[in-house]
Amino acid sequence: MRVTEQQRPVGQIRNGPPFGRHMPAVVGMTALVFVVVVWWILTAGTNIMSPQVMASPTDSAWTLGRLMVDPFAGSTLPEHALASLNRWARGYLAAVILGVPLGAIFAWYRDVRSALSPIFETLRYIPPFAWVPIAILWFGPGTTAQAIVVFIAAFPPCVINTHRALTTLDPTVLRAARTVGASRLATLIRVALPASTPGITAGLRIAVSNGWMALMGAELIVGQKGLGFLINAGGENGQPDVIIAGMVSIGILGLILDTLVLTLTRPMLQWRKGIESGD
Amino acid sequence: MVETEQAPPGTVQPKLTLRGIRKSFTRRKITVEAIAGADLSVNQGEFVTLVGPSGCGKSTLLMIAAGLEEPTEGDVVVDGRLAGPPGPDRCVVFQRFALFPAMTVRKNIEFGLRMARVSSKERAERALAEIEMVGLQGFEDAYPHELSGGMQQRVAIARALVLEPDILLMDEPFGALDAQTRAVMQEQVARLCSELNLTVLFVTHSVEEAVYLGDRVAIMTARPGRIKDQILVPKDADWRGLSVEDATGHADFSALRTAVWKQVKEELNVRPATKS
Repeated sequence: MRVTEQQRPVGQIRNGPPFGRHMPAVVGMTALVFVVVVWWILTAGTNIMSPQVMASPTDSAWTLGRLMVDPFAGSTLPEHALASLNRWARGYLAAVILGVPLGAIFAWYRDVRSALSPIFETLRYIPPFAWVPIAILWFGPGTTAQAIVVFIAAFPPCVINTHRALTTLDPTVLRAARTVGASRLATLIRVALPASTPGITAGLRIAVSNGWMALMGAELIVGQKGLGFLINAGGENGQPDVIIAGMVSIGILGLILDTLVLTLTRPMLQWRKGIESGD
Repeated sequence: MVETEQAPPGTVQPKLTLRGIRKSFTRRKITVEAIAGADLSVNQGEFVTLVGPSGCGKSTLLMIAAGLEEPTEGDVVVDGRLAGPPGPDRCVVFQRFALFPAMTVRKNIEFGLRMARVSSKERAERALAEIEMVGLQGFEDAYPHELSGGMQQRVAIARALVLEPDILLMDEPFGALDAQTRAVMQEQVARLCSELNLTVLFVTHSVEEAVYLGDRVAIMTARPGRIKDQILVPKDADWRGLSVEDATGHADFSALRTAVWKQVKEELNVRPATKS
């Protein structure tokens, strides 16, 4: 039997932690409630932070609810969110569809890597936002320009993680594939890629947050819609409650996207069941 | 270009011949000669064990035989023809099993057949037969990491045998196993190879294993490795067919083991113990 990774206080070894296996969730919720309480004390409770610079938790919650139906800066909160999600999805899918194969090609075909690697390495040090002006010049200030920013941010982790996962495989396993008659390409597709799913899916998850964060930044700069645009408009109107409601939405949606990708990639990790206890 | 050569009349053409193999590595501008002209042949149905001190290049020689490494000089000849790229004619069983981690036992064993475009029905039948032969019934759908070392190595052996290879190359296949498992595996392999009349080249650092399994024991010198001597093990020795522990207690076995061990020991470059 595997020893649980939770730290148990001395003296409670026999009885297990209070709340049993729900202990981590209980601790997490308690910390969250604590932060909200401190926030409330600083704002509504004591007015240490005035309503002009910081909204209270209750005000922010009310505003969040109101924004669901009342438009702000031209659209309701769900409309802003949908605009952002649409841009994110396009950029992210393009990054995965192009990035994972490119990483595999880098790992498998040294000549291609030699040719493309300097270009890739140079381009990836240009921050996603630096692509905004040229993207707008080419495609106008619309969904495509924003999706390109997501793509630029999400592409490198797809490439690099796939490349690294493939090159750190046990070389004897690849030799074994050759001796039972697999071609180089068959070895890549049938043996190496399935064995690399832990590293590849880790890259896909990094790409989720990279893309989402870059998009929020890009929406602050340009556009008429989106969650980044919403909080920027809240700032320009001097409405901290709108800013906080927008920020909370950005955080929650980011978490949902990460969970979504985690869930979709889980079947690819099924074979590893039992190697790790999971997180 | 295919080079063909006829064996002189009256002699048997070896199944596998390693001819004048030299291998040197260059790392950090230093060239190390690993193998300095090794000649070795394995006849059809013969089990040849290759034993030598660690670092003598015996595993490298096996990898060259498999086509997985290029010799600096020399030829690998199979059935009188220069051997081509690695493939299912010369299957390899590696020390660290090298199973495909994301495939079940069944998929691992079927993989080579799949690459040979064997129909899925035939694949399933042949894989099942191998699974029964190596005694892995009930573990068909387990993944490699769920198996013990001995079971993993049996999967690796089944994965090679299912392809009915002309030559089976084994690189210290039991080196990573515990002593009890190793003894069991040695007996199973001895039985399988004699039943199936396999042609085997088997690398080991264990003199006992080399004598127990081999029809012929080839001894390598210390690096740079050459074949120093070859000792025939009589096919009809009294201890043949016995378990490892019974065979090792046999006087004839001990004599052979001592003969091989003396040769290996000369290569270890260890100063004899002296009383002080």
